[in-house]
Amino acid sequence: MKMKKTDFGVVGFMYAVCAFFYVYSFDLADGSETYPRFTIYLLFGLTTLYLVQMILTARKFGTESGVDEVFAGFKPLQFFVSLALTVVYFLMMKYLGFFSATVVFMFASLLYLKVPVLHSVISVVAINLLIYLAFVQFLGVRLPAGLLF
Amino acid sequence: MLETLQLMGEGFINALTFVNLLAMAGGVTLGIVIGCLPGLSAAMGVALMLPLTFTMPADTGLIVLGAIYCGAIFGGSISAILIHTPGTPASAATAIEGYQMTLQGKAGKALATACWSSFWGGLLSCISLYFFSPLLAQLALKFMSAEKFWLGIFGLTIIAGVSSKSIVKGLMSGALGLLISTIGLDPIIGTKRFMFGQSFLAEGINTTCALIGLFSMSQAFILAEAEIKKRAKASKFTDKITLSKEEKKMLRPTVIRSWLIGNVIGILPGAGASIACFMGYNNAKQFSKHKEDFGHGAIEGVCGSEAANNAVTGGSLIPMLTLGIPGESVTAVLMGGLVIQGLAPGPELFTKHAAMTYTFFAGFVLVQFFMLAIGTLGCRGFAQISRLSDAILIPCVTVLCFVGSYAIHRNMSDVVVMLIFGVLGYLMRKFDLNTAAVVLALILGPISEKGLRGALRVSGGDIMCLFESPVCWVLIILSIVGIFSPFLMSKFEKKVAGVEVPDEELQ
Repeated sequence: MKMKKTDFGVVGFMYAVCAFFYVYSFDLADGSETYPRFTIYLLFGLTTLYLVQMILTARKFGTESGVDEVFAGFKPLQFFVSLALTVVYFLMMKYLGFFSATVVFMFASLLYLKVPVLHSVISVVAINLLIYLAFVQFLGVRLPAGLLF
Repeated sequence: MLETLQLMGEGFINALTFVNLLAMAGGVTLGIVIGCLPGLSAAMGVALMLPLTFTMPADTGLIVLGAIYCGAIFGGSISAILIHTPGTPASAATAIEGYQMTLQGKAGKALATACWSSFWGGLLSCISLYFFSPLLAQLALKFMSAEKFWLGIFGLTIIAGVSSKSIVKGLMSGALGLLISTIGLDPIIGTKRFMFGQSFLAEGINTTCALIGLFSMSQAFILAEAEIKKRAKASKFTDKITLSKEEKKMLRPTVIRSWLIGNVIGILPGAGASIACFMGYNNAKQFSKHKEDFGHGAIEGVCGSEAANNAVTGGSLIPMLTLGIPGESVTAVLMGGLVIQGLAPGPELFTKHAAMTYTFFAGFVLVQFFMLAIGTLGCRGFAQISRLSDAILIPCVTVLCFVGSYAIHRNMSDVVVMLIFGVLGYLMRKFDLNTAAVVLALILGPISEKGLRGALRVSGGDIMCLFESPVCWVLIILSIVGIFSPFLMSKFEKKVAGVEVPDEELQ
């Protein structure tokens, strides 16, 4: 099996996490930093071990990009629109309130994903009803209120 | 002995309250729905439903989660039989014979076999749950600080090693989780650690938010990145969902063998229902008097697979409840449910909280009856649900993740944490890192830290205290075995079934 170049991203991310927490560990009180440092060294050691493993694999079997495997069947537009809608949903909740934001988010998502209108309406009503009964009535959770309710 | 019998009896009395029965029926139904939807996994379903159990008494909450677990494992067989797409990897072997039976117009028979076998597999697995759990819990009583530290390490090596494509990547995931678990107030001296001025991080990263993000929100992202495919239409069937007396008699030995296989697989940390189903299937084939039927709709094949995967459920709870070592993703999430209720896995569950534990056990037994009844009566309806498009699931799962994480402390900070872990979980799954190891590390991290620092305090800082007792050495050896267990497991899988376990099981 060839070494995947995409794994450099994993190694880089882990090293970045180690560096970030290591720098902040100097701000910790005496005695409080022992265990976090232990976990940082552990993560650093394991990441280095993986890097060595990657280099050995590359020498023995060669390298490949890995992008094709990691992003096989990836639909960028669909993914990023869904992600953007999720972020907008989060931001909307503060101003519109939970239920209004949910209705807008769900309709927007379902229509974008080409779900027939009737199915969309049923899904929106079902989910909102389920949340109202389970969370508001049963658990007594006060969901974020907004401009409407 | 008498005391245990009394606790068992009281457990059944407590479990038979109206609220608990309602919880079982609701949990099983929800579990079957989740299980029969090919885009959703059992772990994801349990994670998503965790917030609903907050306000419930501990026993009722655990019964709901246990019911979802059992229902989801069985539910996977419905889509496996009717549309040749296993709802969960645990039903991958069921699809082989089950779909052949559907093509022959025997879908009702296949579903009845799946229902009946799942029921017996699950029910018989409760025997070991009752028998082995208290024994193992007594052993855990002997664990002091140093042993608790090594127990945490052992749990991590098992789940990181077995549930990952690369052992080192699995261990890296576990180490990352341990590091994240240090965020919040120091558990010994109470000083702030990595809180970056955010007071909501004082109690550390909320495990439930992390669970929902890593298992459920990341699944919504995974579904959103792929082409939305139209699901195959579930075959309509007219035959009755029943088994004759002769058929039941013929399947009995297969059920018993598969129960034993599933139970042992369940107790072994790391091995899961997806391995058990192939072992059960293969075993049924080996002992069948009609080997030529296999591959052409053998009823024994469906029975072997389904009895084995459901027998895993009871067995897998044993190491989780007694030692705090979940062997797979679903039990890691269930352990999160236990922690949320303010309970710690271990001997206390069988002493201080024995009444609650035995109520849960009794509930787990009764859940199997609900699974049989709801599964048999609702098969036709569940078959239609299994066609639900991913396009509908994506926004629905997202909304449930939002409301679930918000409901924990009723603030948006938890939603932010959930979203961060959702993105982290998505990236981890894309790059073959292990989300279950992160969750386990978040739970075991503080326990291991207390164990390590407690042992060092007692010994005056001498690190050799971690290697003094024989139990420590046993746990060290088991940890090393845990690291190398993937080699053994993959050889075992190939030998048994000649197939690889689907990746979804690992998540």
